[in-house]
Amino acid sequence: MTAPTKQFTIPIGPQHPALKEPGFFEFTVEGETVVGATVRLGYAHRGIEKATESRTWVQNLYLLERICGICSHIHALAYALGVEKLAGVTVPPRAQAIRELTAELERIHSHLLWLGVAAHEAGFDTLFMYSWRDRETVMDIFEQFSGSRVHHSVNTLGGVKFDLTPELSDAIHQGLDYLDERARYYLDLVQNDPMLSGRTRNIGVMTEADAARLGVVGPTARASGVLRDLRVEAPYSAYVNFPVQAVVETAGDLHARFVVRVRELLESIRVIRLLLDGLPTGDLQARMPRKIPAGETISRVEAPRGELFYFIKSAGGDMPERIKVRTPTLCNLASVLELSRGRQLADIPMLLVGVDPCFSCNDRMVTICRVESGERVDFTWDQLRRKESIP
Amino acid sequence: MTEVLALLIFPGGIALLLAALLYEWINRKLAARLQNRVGPRWFQPLADLVKLLAKEEIIPQGAQPVLFDLLPIVSLAAVTTAALYTPLFGLAPAGSFPGDLIVAVYLLSVLSLCTSLAGLITDDRYALVGGLRVLTQLFSYEAPFLLALLLPALVAGSWQISVIAAYTSEHTWLLLTQPVGFVVAVIGLMGKLELPPFDAPEAHTEIVAGSLTEYSGRGLALFRLSRNVVLIVGLTLIAALYLGGVANPLLFFAKTLLLLVGVTIAQMLFARLRIDQTVGLWWRFGVLLALGQWLLTLLGKAVA
Repeated sequence: MTAPTKQFTIPIGPQHPALKEPGFFEFTVEGETVVGATVRLGYAHRGIEKATESRTWVQNLYLLERICGICSHIHALAYALGVEKLAGVTVPPRAQAIRELTAELERIHSHLLWLGVAAHEAGFDTLFMYSWRDRETVMDIFEQFSGSRVHHSVNTLGGVKFDLTPELSDAIHQGLDYLDERARYYLDLVQNDPMLSGRTRNIGVMTEADAARLGVVGPTARASGVLRDLRVEAPYSAYVNFPVQAVVETAGDLHARFVVRVRELLESIRVIRLLLDGLPTGDLQARMPRKIPAGETISRVEAPRGELFYFIKSAGGDMPERIKVRTPTLCNLASVLELSRGRQLADIPMLLVGVDPCFSCNDRMVTICRVESGERVDFTWDQLRRKESIP
Repeated sequence: MTEVLALLIFPGGIALLLAALLYEWINRKLAARLQNRVGPRWFQPLADLVKLLAKEEIIPQGAQPVLFDLLPIVSLAAVTTAALYTPLFGLAPAGSFPGDLIVAVYLLSVLSLCTSLAGLITDDRYALVGGLRVLTQLFSYEAPFLLALLLPALVAGSWQISVIAAYTSEHTWLLLTQPVGFVVAVIGLMGKLELPPFDAPEAHTEIVAGSLTEYSGRGLALFRLSRNVVLIVGLTLIAALYLGGVANPLLFFAKTLLLLVGVTIAQMLFARLRIDQTVGLWWRFGVLLALGQWLLTLLGKAVA
C-alpha cells in the first residue's frame, strides 16, 4: 500500500486524549510521517503573575504554590528563597534540610507520575497503573507529613511549617524501602523490555550540541549528555550539605529520557535517606519582616522538569511590585517541534510527553490578534478595567 | 418454529449477544485486576450497550449518511452469521457445509472492513488515519491467521468446522502437535480484535478513537457488540480446532475461558506496537512461522 502523497494536518489539542492539559499542536503528516509541526500555547492562562501584585508576600506563597499541581513545593521554594534573599534572612539549617527533603520526595512523585503518563502514551497501560499505584506511597507520606497530598504548603517565609517527627521519619524510611525496590524494577523494565525499547530506542535523538542549542533543561537535557542541574551547578538550600549526584545519559533518545528519570528516582531515594539520618537540629523558622526592603532578585531552583526561574521585585511594601515566573516546560517545548519532524505519527505523543510538559504552569501570556489581519492588539489597563471590546 | 427460536433466542441471537457481553466483562475485569484496578461490575458491558443504543446518533457533515448507518449493521450481521457455523456453547452448529471454515473466517473479517470503511467515509482526520491503519493491520495479520486456522483443516483433511472438531476431539490436541499454528492463531485473533499490543488503529493518545471517532449512539454500540461477537466466535473456533474440540457446554466454557485468560494476560504484557512494527512483525515472523508449520505438516502427511 502506498502512502497518500497529499499532506494533511493532524491537530493534537487543545482537547485531545494525549494531553491532560490544553495545549495545541498541529502536525502536518504525509501518510504516517510527520513533516511539520507548530505549537500554540496560552489556553490555560490564569493571570497569576498579575494577581501576585495585589496580595501580600505571605499570601503569594499559597497562590504561587498553585501554579503547578505536581511540583507545588518547588514553586513555593523558589519564591521563598527569593524573598528571603531580598529580606536578608537566613533560614535555620533544619528548615533547609526539610525543604530539600520535601523537594526530593516531590521529585519521586513527579517522576513516577511521568513514568505512568509516558507508558500510557506508549499504550503500555499496565506500567501506567503500576507506577501510579506506587506513587500513592509518596502521596501517603505527604499526607502524613503535611495533611495534604498535593499542595503541601510545607514552606513559609523564613522556614518551614512542619517538623519531622521520629514516627514520620520511620514511615518515610519504610515507604522508601518499597519505592527503592520498585524503582530498581522499573529501571530494569525500561532498559530491557523489548517492546518498550522498540518504542523508545533511537526515537527522537537529540545530540548534545542540539540540546545545548535548543536550550533544553532538566532531565531532557541530562538525557542528551548536557549536565544542567541547579542542585549540582548552583546548590541552594541544603543541597550544599546534602549534595546530589547529577544523573547524565548520553544517548539523547527517548530511551535515555526514561532511564534518566528512573535513575533520578534512585538518587532521590538515596539523598532522602541521608537527610533523614542526618537531619540538623534547631529552629524551624527565622523571623521575617512584614515589609520586604526594596530591591530585585532572581531565584533559580531545579524543579522535577528542569530549571525553574523566578524574578522578584519589591518596592519596599507588603506586596511585591512584580513577579515573573518561567517554568521549564517553556524551555523544552521547542525541542519537541524540532524532534518530531521526520518521525512517525505514533511517536509524537511519546516525544511530546518525553519532555514532561506542564502547560498550565507554563502559560503566562496570551496574544490577542485580529482575525482578519493577524495584527496584534494591545490593551491598556484602563481599557481592560472598562471591559472594552477590541478597539 | 423451533428453528426460528434457535436462531433468535438460543443458541444464536440473544444468547450469543449476552455471552459476548459476558466475555467482554471477563476480559475487562481480568485486565483491571491484573493492573491492580477494581474493574467494571458484571453488568457494565450491558449497561454501556443500553446507554449507547438510547443515545442520539449524530451523522457528521461530510459523511455518507446511508453508509454511515449501514456499516455497523452489516458488520454485526456478518459476525453473527459467522457464529452460525461455529459450535457455540458446545452445541452443533446451526449450519454446516464443506468449506464453512473459510466462510466463517471471512465473515469475521467483515468487521475489520466495515470499521475501516466507517473511518474512510468521514471527513475526520483521526478517523481517516484510523481507517488506513485498520486496513494496513488487516493485510498484515489476515494471511497468517487464515493459514493458522487452515492448518487443522489440512490435518483433518476437511474444510468443514464440525468435521475438523470431530477429528480433533478423537485425536491428540493439535495444540501439542501444531503449537506454532496455535500461537499464530491466538495472536492473529488479538490483531483482529485490535487488543493491545495491536491497538494502533484505535490508539487514543494519537488518533482519539481511530476510525470510530465520529460514531456515537447506535452505530458505536453495534460496532462494539460486533467486536465482542468476534471475540467469542474466534475463541470458539480456536478451541474447536486446536484444543480438542468443544463437544459439550462444559468443555466449551472451560476451554474458551482458559483461552480468554491467556489472551487477557498477553494483552497486559506489552507496549503498543507502531503500525509499521505490526506489519514487520507479521510478515517477518508470523507468516514465516505459519508457513513453516504448514511445510512440516505437509511433510508429516507425506511420510505417513
